[in-house]
Amino acid sequence: MILLQTIIHHVYFLLSAVVAVLLLTRLFRRRSRPGIAYDIVYVYTLIPFILRALHIK
Amino acid sequence: MTTTTTVQAEAPRQEGPREGRTTLVLVRRLVLLAGAVLLMVSGTREIRALRAYEETVVVSEAFTRQVMLSHWFDGIAGTRMDTPVYVFDSGVGGGSVLLLGGAHAYEPASPLTAYMAMENIRVTRGRVFVIPRANRSASTLGMLGNAYPPFFRIRTAWGEKKYKIGDRETHPLEQWPDPFTFVHYPSTQNLAYQDSRNLNRTFPGRADGNLTERTSFAISEMIRREKIDMTIDVHEASLGYPVVSTYVCHQRADELCMMASMVLSAEQFPMKTETSPTSLRGLTHREIGDFTNSFAVLMETPEPFIEKFAGPMTEELMMTGRDEFVQTAATRGLLYTEYDIKTGATMDYRVGRHLSGALEVIKQMGEFYPAKAIGVTWPTYAEVMKNGSGHYLHDPQKADGRRVFKN
Repeated sequence: MILLQTIIHHVYFLLSAVVAVLLLTRLFRRRSRPGIAYDIVYVYTLIPFILRALHIK
Repeated sequence: MTTTTTVQAEAPRQEGPREGRTTLVLVRRLVLLAGAVLLMVSGTREIRALRAYEETVVVSEAFTRQVMLSHWFDGIAGTRMDTPVYVFDSGVGGGSVLLLGGAHAYEPASPLTAYMAMENIRVTRGRVFVIPRANRSASTLGMLGNAYPPFFRIRTAWGEKKYKIGDRETHPLEQWPDPFTFVHYPSTQNLAYQDSRNLNRTFPGRADGNLTERTSFAISEMIRREKIDMTIDVHEASLGYPVVSTYVCHQRADELCMMASMVLSAEQFPMKTETSPTSLRGLTHREIGDFTNSFAVLMETPEPFIEKFAGPMTEELMMTGRDEFVQTAATRGLLYTEYDIKTGATMDYRVGRHLSGALEVIKQMGEFYPAKAIGVTWPTYAEVMKNGSGHYLHDPQKADGRRVFKN
């Protein structure tokens, strides 16, 4: 049970890291919606995922 | 065809309008990313400071040893829930008591009471165990969404001493995700989801439960194995909470609490007493009483800072407890304790109440059960109100290094 809880707990950090990498990739490589407004949205959305992946927040 | 190709390849390369725009977009995105990094670094400065900060305590000469809680249950070893336990053993028979501080880290008079006891304690009979940060993880997290200041400071003759204002629950970095509904063990009572991280909803704990349940289990194990006669869990409450300024006691400790409450109310400050409800599961005053032989007592002081309707959440409000909205509620008879904005509910008042409240109930245990008597002193309510909390906190720079600890 403890092992399962630990795995699930760490999967959340892993998922945060995966989403952060996806957002970062899309910030620089995307075909649609290239405007600055979307750049800002991508960058801003990235923050909580990076903070969680780095165990800061 | 071949010649033309050669000429084109050798011509100086010039950036077209399309390539120039691409470079501009790349620079723009890099600048935005740099801004986000800057925002992350500057915006989390307080968060990182709170997470890393360690409180200093200079224990009194009565100090015997420091042991980590995982000594009694290794299921929390190596985690941020493992917390130091300080033992003050007189070497003379008698009873034993556990002073449990910081179960809810956003009630900071609780750990401060424990620290002040530890810095000034004298024990002539029996043993005293102190856990100043029962939920150590919660002390590293600011109260989510409430804009609490991360620290408060106590002024002393030698400078300021800084303490943390934490959260109610275990940090999500230590325990996540929360269940949809938290099912309390072993009663199977359904509690709110966030109570799975609330140390004072997970007692008596379970060895293979979540991290907070395992911590509760470790504390219960310590009480059982050390045969601790009385457990005093120190809290603070909103003034609109019925058990504010109250002892909440397991039924086995009822008589002790009633006597202590009468003595305190007659001689020092108003103190109510209430029997722990049997249907309210997971709390120390219920589960430690049911699952160990210890007399389980919980104490609450009035903390205007945690009122939902109080004004700005500032360090000043934390220290003075003066708030006009709380006064309005008091004037309209909506509170469960006395309140006057002129005096507020200062940190000295709250800590002093706890120190004397604990001493009185320990004394009553000795009166009712002489074999469990404990000879213990630390600053009283009257002394703290007269001299201030800072008077009883010692300078770690001038203290014997063997008596200085970080929490």
